[in-house]
Amino acid sequence: MSGVPAVRVSIESSCERQVQEVSLDGVETYVPPLSMSQNLAKLAQRIDFGQGSDSDEEDPNGQSRVSDWSKQDLEGEEGLVKFQPCSWPWDSVRNHLRSALTEMCVLHDMLSVIKEKKYMALDPVSQDPIVVRTPQVFQLISKKKSLATAAQLLLRGAEKLNKSVAESQEQWRQRDFNAELLHLRSQWKLRKVGDKILGDLSYRSAGSLFTHHGTFEVIKNTDIDLDKKIPDDYCPLNVQIPSDLEGSAYIKVSIQKQSADIGDLGTVSLFRKPLKAKPGSQAWHLKLEAAQNVLLCKEIFTQLSREAVQIKSHIPHIVVKNQIISQPFPGLQLSISLCHSTMDKKNQRASPDKTKPDDHLYVLEHNLHQLIREFHKQTVSSSVMPHPASAPFVPKRLRVAGPMAYDKSEISSLQQSEGLLEKIVKQAKHIFLRSRTARTIDSLASRIEDPQIQAHWSNINDVYESSVKVLITSQGYEQICKSIQLQLNIGVEQIRVVHRDGRVITLSHQEQELQDFLLSQMSQHQVHAVQQLAKVMGWHVLSFSNHVGLGAIESIGNASAITVASPNGAYAISVRNGPESGFKVLVQFPRCQAKDLLKSDVLQDGKWNYLRGPYKEVHWSKMEGRNFVYKMELLMAALTPYP
Amino acid sequence: MEAPPVTVMPVTGGTINMMEYLLQGSVLDQSLDSLLHRLRGLCDNIEPESFADHELVYLLKGRQGNPFILRARRSLAHPTAPWHLRYLGQPEVGDKSRHALVRNCVDVAASHSLPDFLNEMGFRMDHEFVAKGHIFRKGALKVVVSKLSRALVPGNTDNTEPLSLSYLVELSVLAPAGQDTVSEDMRSFAEQLKPLVHLEKIDPKRLM
Repeated sequence: MSGVPAVRVSIESSCERQVQEVSLDGVETYVPPLSMSQNLAKLAQRIDFGQGSDSDEEDPNGQSRVSDWSKQDLEGEEGLVKFQPCSWPWDSVRNHLRSALTEMCVLHDMLSVIKEKKYMALDPVSQDPIVVRTPQVFQLISKKKSLATAAQLLLRGAEKLNKSVAESQEQWRQRDFNAELLHLRSQWKLRKVGDKILGDLSYRSAGSLFTHHGTFEVIKNTDIDLDKKIPDDYCPLNVQIPSDLEGSAYIKVSIQKQSADIGDLGTVSLFRKPLKAKPGSQAWHLKLEAAQNVLLCKEIFTQLSREAVQIKSHIPHIVVKNQIISQPFPGLQLSISLCHSTMDKKNQRASPDKTKPDDHLYVLEHNLHQLIREFHKQTVSSSVMPHPASAPFVPKRLRVAGPMAYDKSEISSLQQSEGLLEKIVKQAKHIFLRSRTARTIDSLASRIEDPQIQAHWSNINDVYESSVKVLITSQGYEQICKSIQLQLNIGVEQIRVVHRDGRVITLSHQEQELQDFLLSQMSQHQVHAVQQLAKVMGWHVLSFSNHVGLGAIESIGNASAITVASPNGAYAISVRNGPESGFKVLVQFPRCQAKDLLKSDVLQDGKWNYLRGPYKEVHWSKMEGRNFVYKMELLMAALTPYP
Repeated sequence: MEAPPVTVMPVTGGTINMMEYLLQGSVLDQSLDSLLHRLRGLCDNIEPESFADHELVYLLKGRQGNPFILRARRSLAHPTAPWHLRYLGQPEVGDKSRHALVRNCVDVAASHSLPDFLNEMGFRMDHEFVAKGHIFRKGALKVVVSKLSRALVPGNTDNTEPLSLSYLVELSVLAPAGQDTVSEDMRSFAEQLKPLVHLEKIDPKRLM
């Protein structure tokens, strides 16, 4: 023990006194200990004298009397206390002792009185005083009464249950409404105004400038009879759309030959069958989509008619009722109409439609929708964010124009001024020109068998431009006769023709021009074909001309001509082909074969007999062969001497 | 070279005297995302755009009076975009009931030779900074949330150091003078951003 260094253990007596407070510097202030008398007084104050008096509860009468009495006494006491507030700690003890003494005295007096048995006697108190002989009538009545109360209780319970069931059903429907509302909110813009829920149908957030408010109201569907079975398509949520957006609508675009009377065109109204409900989609959803479509159609039409009135064109656009009429080409009429059907009218109008031919230009209708959306996008994106960020929100061209020193033309080139109507008219022109070109080529191809005309339409085209490759060939000689290959670029107003050799010819929108051009090309083709054939057959081309200056004047284009000589030079074939006059084939024979030719005195020598003599026309229609080139081949073969 | 005398005439931008209504606030870096989220919800439905700008502040000191300050700003993200030259006047000491700071403002788009031009005129560059952040709009309201950083090497915008751990949030509108309804709109917009950022009318003079 002594070896281990002493560990200092400090012992401190546990604090017996209560800490009154600890000051900020850590000094504890103790409560001074109570003196003996104070301690006693404190303990005495804790005594509950009221507890002891419970023992004489057996005598309720006496008790109440005593308590009455003591109450009075207490009141007196309290009165005393009011006047001289007790500062003496023993005060309550004294009071209780005094009241105890009084009670003891009373008890003593009572006991002494009972002892005398003169005025008072003690009797056992009966425990069951209800054993009363009641008559049976009373029993019955009481039983009835109690039964009635029991029944009432049961009834009340049943009523409560009923109510709670109804409530829970109501709650379930409420929840259903909320779920539907949540669903609606995930797809449509909603806001709360007052106690109404309003939704937004308009495309304003997408950039639309249409003034229609496009507001719908969400209402709770409460008109359902609780007693009846809920129908399958019941939806707790219903939407109310503005009356002018009800029903269905679409834009109809068509191109017609101009009719004499415009007046009756204004009443076009065609109606489409109502949309089939997709399974799994709510009624309100269909309703809203239809209404939004109506709104969009109305916006398109409003925009178009506004432009139709504003735009100055040489043939003014006409706006009649729900129709806009424009003249893309003379004698042609583009009509754009807004067809809006409300549900009740649909049945009356549906029948006469069936007989009408369907002259919709679905492409243009689709493009109109596309254009209006582009227009929306443009309005949204026209507010481009400025860079640097401190610059104000102005159109970019305004900010760029100054520093870049743009002139007027450059500024206006930055400005997109073409409207919806102009675009759609251009597209209509193009579509019309394209279809007419196709028709022209097809009709030529079906009318003229020799030479053949083939058109290869390009799949890839623009809304304003498409192209077709036209090949003119002869059947059976496709490989050697490839002279005419035309590329037709069909634009909005005109057709540009690009030859294989790079020449460019511009044709107007007139149908006749294209037809004439193709006819002249076909006639040239025949002569070209002879030239190609001559090469293959070993004949020599003596002369060739696409545009012959001699002979009868053709009404379309020019005649072309070729002269080819046989390999040994004995024969020559001359072909003249005009688009209108048709072809003329002449064969030149050597002089020796021309019997009717008079012997000349000058040409004595036999060698001159090989000079070519007169021409003879071939009766071409009597020639065998299925087409011109084949006949020509036969002719050449016939005139070629055997080796 | 002696600096030309500085006019004390108020500068106005042509015939229409435009005023800038401004509210400012700041947000800590960590709560930036929630602010941007909120702004995307509140502002116009345009793709949120970020920007990176370099601002040069030029002073023209006269013999007496306050120096004349011009701010030249260019976009780092769009180098071909024109420079932006801006004059900001002293805040109006109008009535206290107005909710936004109002000051005169002249905006000019300028070509890329702006710094040389200003130097030739006798302006001297006082300080420069790089602001990177996001820009939103709601109608005429412009909300710019940007991080300001100083260029460590003068003129070099690649080498920067952030000035603070927070983003500056500015709500501004350009409007002709006397359109006090604008400040009402701004206040209500600022209210909607309330728990995230407190936009207030801050007098720059008090901070100097």
